[in-house]
Amino acid sequence: MSYTPRERVMAAMNLQKPDRVPLMCQFSIGSMMQQLKPSPAEFWYDGELFALGLVELCNRFDFDGILVSLHGHSPDWRDKVISFKELEEGRQELVFEDRQELHSWTDLPMVKYFDKAALKNIDDIDIDNDVPDVIDYIPVSQNLYFKIDKDHPFDIFVFLREMVGNTYSIHGEITSPFDYLLDLLGYEQGLISLIMNPEKCKQILQKFTDGITKLAVEMCKYDIDAIKISSPFAGMGFISPEHYQEFVLPYESQFIKKVREAGKHVYIHTCGHIDDRLELMQLSGASGLECLDPEPVGNVDLKDAFNRIGDKMFIKGNIDSVNSLLYASNEKAEEDVLKIIETGKSGKGFILSTACSIAPMVTEERLHILSKLAESAGKYS
Amino acid sequence: MDNFIDRISISIQRGKIDANSPYPPDMKGEPGADELTREALQNGVAANDILTLAMIPAMGIVGELFKDKKLFVPQVLMSAKAMNSAMLHLKPYFTSGEIKQRGTFVIGTVSGDLHDIGKNLVSMMIEGSGWRVIDLGVDVKTERFIEAVQENPGCILGMSALLTTTMESMEKSVRQVRSNYPSQRILVGGAPLSKEFAFRIGADMYAPNPQVAVEYINSIA
Repeated sequence: MSYTPRERVMAAMNLQKPDRVPLMCQFSIGSMMQQLKPSPAEFWYDGELFALGLVELCNRFDFDGILVSLHGHSPDWRDKVISFKELEEGRQELVFEDRQELHSWTDLPMVKYFDKAALKNIDDIDIDNDVPDVIDYIPVSQNLYFKIDKDHPFDIFVFLREMVGNTYSIHGEITSPFDYLLDLLGYEQGLISLIMNPEKCKQILQKFTDGITKLAVEMCKYDIDAIKISSPFAGMGFISPEHYQEFVLPYESQFIKKVREAGKHVYIHTCGHIDDRLELMQLSGASGLECLDPEPVGNVDLKDAFNRIGDKMFIKGNIDSVNSLLYASNEKAEEDVLKIIETGKSGKGFILSTACSIAPMVTEERLHILSKLAESAGKYS
Repeated sequence: MDNFIDRISISIQRGKIDANSPYPPDMKGEPGADELTREALQNGVAANDILTLAMIPAMGIVGELFKDKKLFVPQVLMSAKAMNSAMLHLKPYFTSGEIKQRGTFVIGTVSGDLHDIGKNLVSMMIEGSGWRVIDLGVDVKTERFIEAVQENPGCILGMSALLTTTMESMEKSVRQVRSNYPSQRILVGGAPLSKEFAFRIGADMYAPNPQVAVEYINSIA
């Protein structure tokens, strides 16, 4: 029986085996820029252009699904631009009232705020006023935010379905409350506050969780199959399993439950070392885990992960984007990917993917290897 | 003296800053690194002994535990804060020359990269092992690294990158510094890096965690 790409991904998320291992990697913004060479600022801000790019890349590399890493593009974004300068090919400078942005084909935009308010001390945080009721921004990276247009929060899912019909699986992305907390307080103060002011941290986390839950439930009304939770700071590189249980798990579990009740899958993406907390992540109620970085970036052995959590969760991973795709020889890259496909096939639900997002400078030729190997070695007999 | 040395060391290891600090809960109300260091000096304990017998070994233990994933970032940050509170009492002794730092470590996150968590952790641990640290911040251009090396002869240079794209900036900076100063010691670190990458671009050492950085620079001091 032949599956459509969407059916293939759905089967894996339902812990079933489709015709072959589905392939679905998440592109970093830099990778999209490198592959598509668009007008970088317009690609960042224009939802239709971004959607077109996602579809083009999915088609080009024979992926089975599309992860929408940014949503809430404003159709009126140009209204707030004071100046738009082409610095050179693939490099643009935008000036807004409060900031200057440098967009390029290299990676994420670089932002300089003209008069950014200092981070507040946790004791001075007024939860009613300083933590939003409605989540209207995505903390993309340090000092980089993507504003969610409240009138167009999910237009991109409509654009995408119009373009791809029922062919591909489409996944949304939501950022973990823990990430919002660290962003609000700054990473150092945020992490210290877990032990110095845990109760206030929990109050802030709960308010963010309420807002994120509303956002996730609204997202579920669109024709998507799953939501990825971006939770990059919840691994062993930052916090203990005890802190994970105290400050991450209870909050992620709340909106995971709502997403599951809405009939969508949900999976957690936590980078780096997470081997000590796979079972805790399973307790969240999520349908799957993404990333599971292998050595040296992380410490997860894929086979061991399947043995420990594979009966209840699908796994999406775990190709090392840097050491296997970016820097390895063709032979080594193929060997690494084949090994992952073989291990993945032995599990119940498996989606072949890079662990973290595709590094920007991974070549087009290297990315084509993935679909070739999924096709040749990924068939379930 | 031993009593003070042990107690300062434990305060730093446990992240006990001062008597007002509620952390760790089982040391609530007890004096922390701040009061103990002041008292130790008042009682005639040599500043150099406090530095070399209490503070540096304590941060070494913290670094080892962090490397082994037995301590995590929040606890390490508390230890660094406790160490800083003790270090304030030693400043006059550094100024007078009564105690000396091991050398100068210059560090920055490379051009195009705004991430500073890893860099800050490394800075704290290296400062805690008795070095003067000059933190150039984030998004540091190659020219600034070169200037810093020029301004601090004999320093050890550290570069951090969190993004695969900025690994290229790191390569450029390492090669340029190396070209101008062939014998300059350069240490690199960051999540996507590997030992192979570090050596390929001409760095002397790859530090997968702060403790490796500390061990490396102490080994060549």
